[in-house]
Amino acid sequence: MTLKVRTEHLSAWYGAKRGIEDISLDFEEHAVTAIIGPSGCGKSTLIRCMNRLHEVIPKARSEGKVLLDGEDIYALSAVSVRRRIGMVFQKANPFPTMSVYDNVSAGLRLNGVRDRKRLDETVLRSLKHAALWDEVRDSLDAPGVSLSGGQQQRLCIARALAVEPEVLLMDEPCSALDPIATAKIEDLIFDLKKEYTVVVVTHNMQQAARVADYTAFLYLGKLIEVNRTRELFERPAQDLTEKYITGRFG
Amino acid sequence: MPEKAERKALAEGLRALNENMVTLADLSELAIRKAVDGLTRLDPDVSDEVFTLDGEIYALQLEIEKNCVDLIALHAPVARDLRTITTSLKITTDFDRIGRYAKDIAEITLRFRGKEPDHLRNLGSIPEMTEIAIQLVDKAIRAFVARDAESVRHIQEDDDAVDLLEERAFEELVDKMTSRSLDVGVGARYILVTRYLERIADHAVNIGQRVVYMVTGDRVPRIRAVDRANRTR
Repeated sequence: MTLKVRTEHLSAWYGAKRGIEDISLDFEEHAVTAIIGPSGCGKSTLIRCMNRLHEVIPKARSEGKVLLDGEDIYALSAVSVRRRIGMVFQKANPFPTMSVYDNVSAGLRLNGVRDRKRLDETVLRSLKHAALWDEVRDSLDAPGVSLSGGQQQRLCIARALAVEPEVLLMDEPCSALDPIATAKIEDLIFDLKKEYTVVVVTHNMQQAARVADYTAFLYLGKLIEVNRTRELFERPAQDLTEKYITGRFG
Repeated sequence: MPEKAERKALAEGLRALNENMVTLADLSELAIRKAVDGLTRLDPDVSDEVFTLDGEIYALQLEIEKNCVDLIALHAPVARDLRTITTSLKITTDFDRIGRYAKDIAEITLRFRGKEPDHLRNLGSIPEMTEIAIQLVDKAIRAFVARDAESVRHIQEDDDAVDLLEERAFEELVDKMTSRSLDVGVGARYILVTRYLERIADHAVNIGQRVVYMVTGDRVPRIRAVDRANRTR
């Protein structure tokens, strides 16, 4: 196992309210780790700390460490962290005034890349990686928001991949999608782990079981259990995990 | 700690599955008891009852299989719920096999046609073997019903006694056939009975070991009797 990301005693607050508490968790390189737990358990807070998005919220703060290849991300610039650790959100959020092409190339252009050939290659590669190329190859100039919900989500994934991140964080990427679009994203996650380290927050336990190599269960901001997904769903070590995944949770 | 809750439809399905499993277990045990009773008394009427039981066991096995597939398809169970369902699917086959062996014994009873001389004496170790095999089946069933893994964690060791008795019965019967005090065709049937009883005990062991997995998630390793004996030395 090659460790890609590690959180060490990570806690995070929104003002006086603690979102996560003392979470130490390892994320294996080229593996998918799912984070599950009931609403408000800190899943999204955890991954937002992992690419320094938590700190942009007023009065939010965190303690502890997030290590990327052993390096503390809080010792790096937030911009470089977010380039190396990309994020895909629950609701697809393509830039509303931009075309499909411009959405995907936006990250590179913001970093000053103007070389059309390089931009073309990046758009092609990213859309192929996001399993969207065949569906949009003839409509690259169409507005990003004209695509279907599932296509928009894959467009956002392509946009995240365009800056060649090492880690991809996905915050409930399928919660607004129908089963067909969900299946496409899940297949995509399966393929993406060959090149990226993927972390998926999901409410859907069957989705965690389908796509993740490891699953972590959070409850009331604490890490209750992390294990290989097969093990966690077949014989969870903690009673609380068993109760949650079997639906015996009031 | 959260309050207790349950997914009602899944819980109801699991309750129905458990009831069917308990019925299946009871029918299987009854089939063996009747088959052996029929054999001991050479009563052909009992054989008919065993054939009826075997048919019921098979039909119930199919119903349980359907229960399990429905539960998996509709509720995507995990953890203990999943282990309960997969274990039920597996051990219905063991119960069905037990029913089939009971039927095989009942068929042998019919072949004796109620007039085998020295029958009780020729049975030799078979009654003792029967008693232990039934105890094993009973123990496995009780463990399943009570979700009691510890009572059957070492059930494989109990089965050693059945294996030893089978070997002893085999030697007794071969001696009798060699000395011509027992007809070879008849002796071979007694040997088949010992074989069926030994297989019934093996299925009881399977059930017991599956119960351990169902309750705890632990897979019990299968260790040959000779290796177990070497370990304890």
